[in-house]
Amino acid sequence: MIVIDTLRKEYKGTPVVDIDSLSIGQGEGFGLVGNNGAGKTTLFRLILDLIKPTHGEVMIEGKDVKGNDEWKKFVGSYLDENFLISYLTPDEYFKFVGTLHGHQDADLITVLSQFEELFNGEITGKKKYIKDLSKGNLKKVGIAAAFIGNPQVVVLDEPFENLDPTSQIRLKSLLKKEKQEKKLTYLISSHDLNHVTEICDRIVILEKGKVIKDLRGQNLLSELESYFKA
Amino acid sequence: MIGIFLSHAYKRMTRSVSFEKEMATTVFLGLITIMAVVYALLLGLALEKILEKSLGVSDSVSFLNGLLLYYFTSEFLIRYFMQNLPVLEVQPYLHLPIRKSAIVHFLLGKSLVHILNVFVFLLFLPFALSVVVRDYGIVNALSWILSIWLFSLSVHFIMILFKKKLDDTLWGLATIVLVFGLFAAADYFGWFKLSEVSAALFNLTVTWSLFPVVLFLVLAGLYYGLYSYFLSSFYPEDLSVSKEKSFVHSSDLTILKRFGIMGGWINVELKLILRNKRTRTILVLGALLLLYGLIFYPEETYTETMPGFLVFVGIFITGIFMINYGQFLFSWQGGHYDFTLTQPVSMRQYVESKYWLISSVTIACFLLSIPYVYFGWRFLFLHLACTLFNIGINSFIIMNMAMWDPKKVDLTRSSAFNYQGVGAAQWLMGFPILLSPYIFYLPLSYLGYSNFGLVAVGLAGLIGFTMHPYLIDFTTRRLIKKKYLMASNFRSE
Repeated sequence: MIVIDTLRKEYKGTPVVDIDSLSIGQGEGFGLVGNNGAGKTTLFRLILDLIKPTHGEVMIEGKDVKGNDEWKKFVGSYLDENFLISYLTPDEYFKFVGTLHGHQDADLITVLSQFEELFNGEITGKKKYIKDLSKGNLKKVGIAAAFIGNPQVVVLDEPFENLDPTSQIRLKSLLKKEKQEKKLTYLISSHDLNHVTEICDRIVILEKGKVIKDLRGQNLLSELESYFKA
Repeated sequence: MIGIFLSHAYKRMTRSVSFEKEMATTVFLGLITIMAVVYALLLGLALEKILEKSLGVSDSVSFLNGLLLYYFTSEFLIRYFMQNLPVLEVQPYLHLPIRKSAIVHFLLGKSLVHILNVFVFLLFLPFALSVVVRDYGIVNALSWILSIWLFSLSVHFIMILFKKKLDDTLWGLATIVLVFGLFAAADYFGWFKLSEVSAALFNLTVTWSLFPVVLFLVLAGLYYGLYSYFLSSFYPEDLSVSKEKSFVHSSDLTILKRFGIMGGWINVELKLILRNKRTRTILVLGALLLLYGLIFYPEETYTETMPGFLVFVGIFITGIFMINYGQFLFSWQGGHYDFTLTQPVSMRQYVESKYWLISSVTIACFLLSIPYVYFGWRFLFLHLACTLFNIGINSFIIMNMAMWDPKKVDLTRSSAFNYQGVGAAQWLMGFPILLSPYIFYLPLSYLGYSNFGLVAVGLAGLIGFTMHPYLIDFTTRRLIKKKYLMASNFRSE
């Protein structure tokens, strides 16, 4: 699904991301962990073609993301508030994203109905602009919008941050369900080792832009804990 | 403590990302300030001559005293636009062991460091030293100038109070209209004359030596009032410029649905314009400037002897929204540029939507300017040529220049004298827009065919318009080339 090839991003000569090769298969729950400044967000931005790599490329479905818009149709993403249109209401925002994906109103309702529990009645149908929402609700809007357009890949940066415990649990079950039913691939970064190990079957540890460990299988949590303790 | 605050304020300014980029703006504003200072000083030095020689006033001190309230009225208006609320970034200090009173004193004290607060010295000190000393002696002259200064400082604090309590409310506007209306009505119906009140008030400065003391007490009272007010409302949400909370309902323009994704983009952008203060002001300004022609069109001096100048007026009337809004064309939506890049949008559609948005507003301006036919059909013809030029050529100049090192625009801030996001491009953008029509106009008008010059302007616009698919392609290619740079600019504050 996603193939990274000798990808490097430097700022003023210092490498921020430096990955020889990494491939993420369809239906994979991919977790990215690492301490502050490890390059997690930069890697996500490189995957989404938001910054220009110094060297190398990212391919989604065999095509370089640079100079190519095809992948945007089936990749949903939410990294930060730059992905939201602050002066719209959440309803208007969802509708607009839906238009961009060629959705009819009915399709949109189906997508958003999955989020009803998560929204907890605070997002849709309210006369409130996105800019006036709380941090947690902003995150919910962004995450829901990433699921519009029946994506095959979803990229989320720190999705659990700022979410209340109920929403965290609901988001986890939603991701698991989508993965099981639709073979959704998701890329998630998090500082919370419990969350990532719970929903990811593969976890990559990033340090100073380099892949230090590529873990799969059982006992992920204990392996991660022993790594970060050191 | 004050030293630390000052050093933090200085660091904040010089270390901001945009500091170097906004150098051009800073230099420009600096030059304007120097110019104002020089003019004020020259006027101050010449004041005696103007009053006594040119106007032949015998008691020039009383005469000037009669004008002072008018001066302070205009100072009030100037301050309204130029003076910002003292909003130091206090949030990082609130939880530290610093006395709140120290912060408030610093805030209010720092607000006093403003060129407007010494302006009265530039204007009136020379007069005080020459004329007032001559007529009333040195002590009274000092009392006179001191009183004027104290009065000016009082206006300063009143302005802070006004902006804090009443700005942006209907009450604020009503207060201003009421007060100025009262003065005008009083003058008109002869209840009292502002000049007489003013003369009586400021004559006290030379006849009653305690007057400056009274003024000082007023000033101290104002300061203390503000101090306790700030102290009691010292929470980030009180201090920061109040967010617009009100919900403005605006529904989609259904006609735009027919244009698919492009229409969707235009709908979103219309909401941007209507829901944010800074963009709304641009809209209002565009509407006001439709009246610009009323200054020039009835005057034969302009219409007969300077027909070339009218091209400038025509470009302005039909294109002011395009120019004002277009200079930040991509920056307005800088807050969600990453969104634009990750959605399945073709960049061409994005550019196309921007093109049609600014072009339709220009056409709307043209339609609204049709009543100028009253002054003659030639103005309709002029506006038509200028509209064509604006949508055929200027629109592309603007779109391409707006890509030049753009910065994110903070939509929530108000617009008067707000230079946030202004870079070199914005200052230079006006030149090609206002000068380019003359490339087509001047050669023919020099030969004596100014009407054919206008035809050439219109024709050039028409050619540009018929070629718009190619020009949009060209613009799109440039936008794609610049997208990483723009995205990283928009991400940094």
